[in-house]
Amino acid sequence: MKSTLSGLARKSREMLVRPTGPLTRELLQKPGHFGLGLVPNRLSADMTTSMTCGFCSTGCGLNVLLKGGQAIGLVPDPDYPVNQGMACPKGWEALAPLSGPGRASTPLIRRDGQLVPTSWETAIFEMTDKFKAIQQKHGPAAVAWLGTGQMPTEELAFLGALGKFGMGMIHGDGNTRQCMATAAVAYKQSFGFDAPPYTYQDFEESDVIVLWGSNLCIAHPIMWERIRKNPHQPKIVAVDPRMTETAMAATHHIALSPKSDLVLLYAIANILIKEGWLDHNFVDQHTNGFEEYCAHVAKYSPEMAESVTGIEAQRILELANLIHAGKRVSFWWTMGVNQSHEGVRTAQAIIALALMTGNIGRPGTGANSITGQCNAMGSRLFSNTTNLFGGRDFENLEDRSQVAATLGMDVERIPSVPSLAYDQIIESILNGKIRGLWVVATNPAHSWINQAHLRDVLDRLECLVVQDMYCDTETALLADIVLPAAGWGEKDGTFINSERRVGVIKKVSKAPGQALADFHIFQLIASAWGVGDLFRKWSTPEAVFEILKELSKGQPCDISGIGDYVAIDRAGGRQWPFPAELAPTINQRRLFENGEFFTADGRAKFLFAEPRPLPEPTSPAYPLLLLTGRGSSCQWHTQTRTRCSEVLNKLSPSELYVEISNKDANALGLRPDEQVNVVSQRATVQARAFITHSVAPGQVFMPMHYETMNRLTFPAYDPFSRQPAYKACAVKIIKIDQVD
Amino acid sequence: MTTAAVQIALPLTETRQRPEKRRLPQLPVAALLDVQQTLTAVERFAKQHDAGDVPAQAKYYRDLIPLERPRPNEQYAFEVDLDACTGCKACVSACHTLNGLDETEIWRTVGLLHGGTSQSPAVQTVTTSCHHCVEPACMSGCPVQAYEKDPITGIVKHLDDQCIGCQYCTLMCPYDAPKYNKSLGIVRKCDMCSSRLAQGEAPACVQACPNEAIAIRLVDRSNVIEASQGSGFLPGAPAPDHTLPTTVYKTKKPLPNNMLPADFYHTKPEHSHPPLVVMLTLTQLAVGAFGLTFVVERALDRPPGSPLAQTAFACTLALVALAASIFHLGRPWLAWRVFLGLRTSWLSREAIAFGIFAQLGVLYGLLAAAPLLPEFPGKHWAMMLTGGVQAAAAIMGMFGVFFSVMVYVATQRAHWSGTQTGVKFFGTTFLLGSASVLSVYVFTGGTLDRMSRNLLTSILVVAILKLAFEASVLLQYRNRRHTVLKRVATLMLGDLSLATRWRFGCTILGGVALPIILQNEAFMHSLRIACVLLLLLLVAGETLERYLFFRAAPASRMPGGIR
Repeated sequence: MKSTLSGLARKSREMLVRPTGPLTRELLQKPGHFGLGLVPNRLSADMTTSMTCGFCSTGCGLNVLLKGGQAIGLVPDPDYPVNQGMACPKGWEALAPLSGPGRASTPLIRRDGQLVPTSWETAIFEMTDKFKAIQQKHGPAAVAWLGTGQMPTEELAFLGALGKFGMGMIHGDGNTRQCMATAAVAYKQSFGFDAPPYTYQDFEESDVIVLWGSNLCIAHPIMWERIRKNPHQPKIVAVDPRMTETAMAATHHIALSPKSDLVLLYAIANILIKEGWLDHNFVDQHTNGFEEYCAHVAKYSPEMAESVTGIEAQRILELANLIHAGKRVSFWWTMGVNQSHEGVRTAQAIIALALMTGNIGRPGTGANSITGQCNAMGSRLFSNTTNLFGGRDFENLEDRSQVAATLGMDVERIPSVPSLAYDQIIESILNGKIRGLWVVATNPAHSWINQAHLRDVLDRLECLVVQDMYCDTETALLADIVLPAAGWGEKDGTFINSERRVGVIKKVSKAPGQALADFHIFQLIASAWGVGDLFRKWSTPEAVFEILKELSKGQPCDISGIGDYVAIDRAGGRQWPFPAELAPTINQRRLFENGEFFTADGRAKFLFAEPRPLPEPTSPAYPLLLLTGRGSSCQWHTQTRTRCSEVLNKLSPSELYVEISNKDANALGLRPDEQVNVVSQRATVQARAFITHSVAPGQVFMPMHYETMNRLTFPAYDPFSRQPAYKACAVKIIKIDQVD
Repeated sequence: MTTAAVQIALPLTETRQRPEKRRLPQLPVAALLDVQQTLTAVERFAKQHDAGDVPAQAKYYRDLIPLERPRPNEQYAFEVDLDACTGCKACVSACHTLNGLDETEIWRTVGLLHGGTSQSPAVQTVTTSCHHCVEPACMSGCPVQAYEKDPITGIVKHLDDQCIGCQYCTLMCPYDAPKYNKSLGIVRKCDMCSSRLAQGEAPACVQACPNEAIAIRLVDRSNVIEASQGSGFLPGAPAPDHTLPTTVYKTKKPLPNNMLPADFYHTKPEHSHPPLVVMLTLTQLAVGAFGLTFVVERALDRPPGSPLAQTAFACTLALVALAASIFHLGRPWLAWRVFLGLRTSWLSREAIAFGIFAQLGVLYGLLAAAPLLPEFPGKHWAMMLTGGVQAAAAIMGMFGVFFSVMVYVATQRAHWSGTQTGVKFFGTTFLLGSASVLSVYVFTGGTLDRMSRNLLTSILVVAILKLAFEASVLLQYRNRRHTVLKRVATLMLGDLSLATRWRFGCTILGGVALPIILQNEAFMHSLRIACVLLLLLLVAGETLERYLFFRAAPASRMPGGIR
């Protein structure tokens, strides 16, 4: 009886409950082939192809799923040597920015105060006419450009060649100034060439890993993946004023006072020297300036360092001991070092630790800068801004002649002075020396330090041309002419990642409307400027890549044997140097394995300086020190691209917030989640208070991704690299009295 | 085809005219646009995959999924290694991509816990999705049996085609796992990539975590029950004893006991569910009016005015309420399925009870009209039945209200406790019932007699008591502890203060001021108009109360990130 009833119940359920149907089929998965495993219907592809991610410098391989040649989705490439099947959320969402709402699909020109659509011809000739007029009146240097680390190397090179050799400009710089200039200068001075020595494999080989000013877990999650794969149970030291995700995951957290890095590094060096924990052999044979260095750091006792850094002398000793005890110690730094008023010397103090302990040129070692943007390294070698092509020197006639010969150009076309740095270009606009500016694939009206001032400066330009994927960036809205560019995924080229790996990007999606690859825009401008002949050989990205290979010959970054796009693609990227004689099978390399550096005498240099006080220290009126940095792994820089993904938006804080310690919040009487005003001498900005112990009392932290944030920052720069010191300025916090 | 090399047209003839007037020289725009629109990656690069049906990713996740099927009393569960989770959120985007979710849809989230002291601060990121509970509240709450728990794997699966889009599961789940997809009109949720697991592939999140923080393990259900007795599930997460979540959060470093979710203090108004607001207000009015008429008729031996008018009014509003509730559904045409969940779902019971109430009410109305009709066969029997049908309808109505209360009590939310919900719902039933009966009474011949005065007095008393009860929650604003009721008070006095003011204003006017004024004979002549005003004010007040009931209802969920 009972079984009949339950049978009946089951029968009726079977009749009335629909386990399948159109909605269920919506998510049905089926074999994706191509090694993909099961995929949902909408990812059913007829071909796949791998390319390098266009966000950060990790340079992950992404496996793009194609249908009829058009990208329909992507997954991380399981076989790419960098990311080994993983990607951060930005990588997973890398196609979303291509269909973002703000895409520029037609050239725009300012008429009666409004940006209105126009033809390519009108826009380009308006630009060239205006720039020529400015140059005629004020000299060729009166027009300059601000470039990027987001474009493929071929385009960066075209921009650099066209700007300087074609259009006669003297000054051009990139947004890489905001992230990598310090590392580049530090390496160049210490090693004789801008050459990060490592390969990612070193993350897996170290027994001690020191992360200095780097929130790797959030900024470079895939590099953290490589640390997780390290089988040697490494000691991981995170040096950061905040308790970041990385500091939490590390085995040691050194929460030093902001910008006291140099003192701490000198104190550690001093201990290593005093204890004799050195690799004398290496120091003697491969370095210069060690004695001076010893003399310089002698006064940095642990006790003295404790008073400056807030780290107990005992802990500093432990740290030195850790470095001494490690057999393969690697040092890694990111923006905490680079974006500092004394970043170059700080980076070199890190380099010094590696040199004196012989932790360089061996697996699992190195003084390693982790780069920021996807092609910061390409920009450093081939953007033709600070350095002449291939890491050469504008002031050196021989270098200029080499380049001129390779390019088949008149040597007179090559300026004999390097470009002004970003901040100096801004300064020159202010004092009227620069009157025309061409901004390519960057958003200074959001990202530049002391932003309100910058906007005022941009207003003074006679002509501002913005070339970007989006026509609604803060900078594009200020432009006189907007040139619509194709983005990553809509063009061919190569990127160079942090470990010097050249990777290929491909055209897998159609650009919207009239948008053209920056490469093609440069072709148009060359033609309109009347220098098309000069760039006759620059016909395709791959043709330019061949030119760059020629240009690299004999330089430390020689890639003449690297092969063509297909060969690089097949190999899973190739690291420079890759001279013609190198075996094509080698896919993991570090530099300086023989102790030979790129300096004239082959020796690395110890370089140092007296620590300088903070450019804008706290005061009774502005008692809190503002730290800035990446807020989440789902936001990229000024968010022009990441805002296009609904998923990334959902995973990011919706508005600007300020992390403040419980102690300071209590003193101010703040309630959690309350809106407050953050005030610096330059601006007042509203933010939501996030009260947490993870920032120390006396400090506050704000993420850099929100437009208003950089109104607060103080325009201080490293004297060698001219990189802005975003990470320290004095602020106060004022309650907004809620009036109901 | 390979990328065409576009040669640049040269030389350009430089003209000295003003740019606007001159004819622009030709640029190779068309040719370049043509190149731009030609996709060549396939011909030049596309990979030749020969053994393409073996997932290339498998080498990374082999150890992260069980080799064996669960034994009896075991099931699959997520295991999260908190020491490995660093908050990169790759799991969320991988889940989104590999499950083919809609643009704004995510089934997994990553939150942040923080605490410790300034000397020893602590942060912990937490990845979370459906916990595939041993006793899934989504499933027991579902009125249409759109959930099933797989008897072997224990995976809680949502049957998308069975769902009617009532979203009750999103309120039942303490962990915010089921997500409503507005464009499809249904809820969807994590199914632990059951089809992948069935093929020996790892779920998307497991495949994609760069740190191997997520794994699928076999858990013993009795261990889950035991574990849920303690507080060890996860700091800042809703208590596990209600649904017995199976996810295991493991860590080697003990977290400080003051760990709080980053969004702990971030309380925002929730969805207002307008059809539910209308439904809950009007069903209670109808039940109250019908029940009161019944009681008054029995107690005083005379009905308040015309029983037919009273019934007609109550039943009309009950039907409006039921119609309104249909609009709440994402797929209203499937509303008939609601009886399927009768065995476990208070929502099914509520819907059925109100359905029967409305039908009995209409039947009673017809029977009550029988004496007015000419003789017909069975008229005698019909008249005999009238009283019984009326009683049955009144009782069924009260059951309906009780089930309404239980719909919210079953969610186990502090702000929808039995007291909170019960006082509100039965208070509304009595208050609006009285007001409705009074209005109909004065329109069908009633004057300011004893009946009216008694009704006015009861309105006054219930209104004052109800307002006092609701206002008592606002006192929680001063609570030092950030309790759920404090959040309610914060919302009512903060983001929702306008609604709060109108809510109290309407009922003070309609339920306190008017009943006092109307006791005065001087207003006898405008009694009808005043009673309509009174009814409208009270309906408005109770509607706003119900609006706040949904909006000032702090969500229950897993620890979130900085919002």
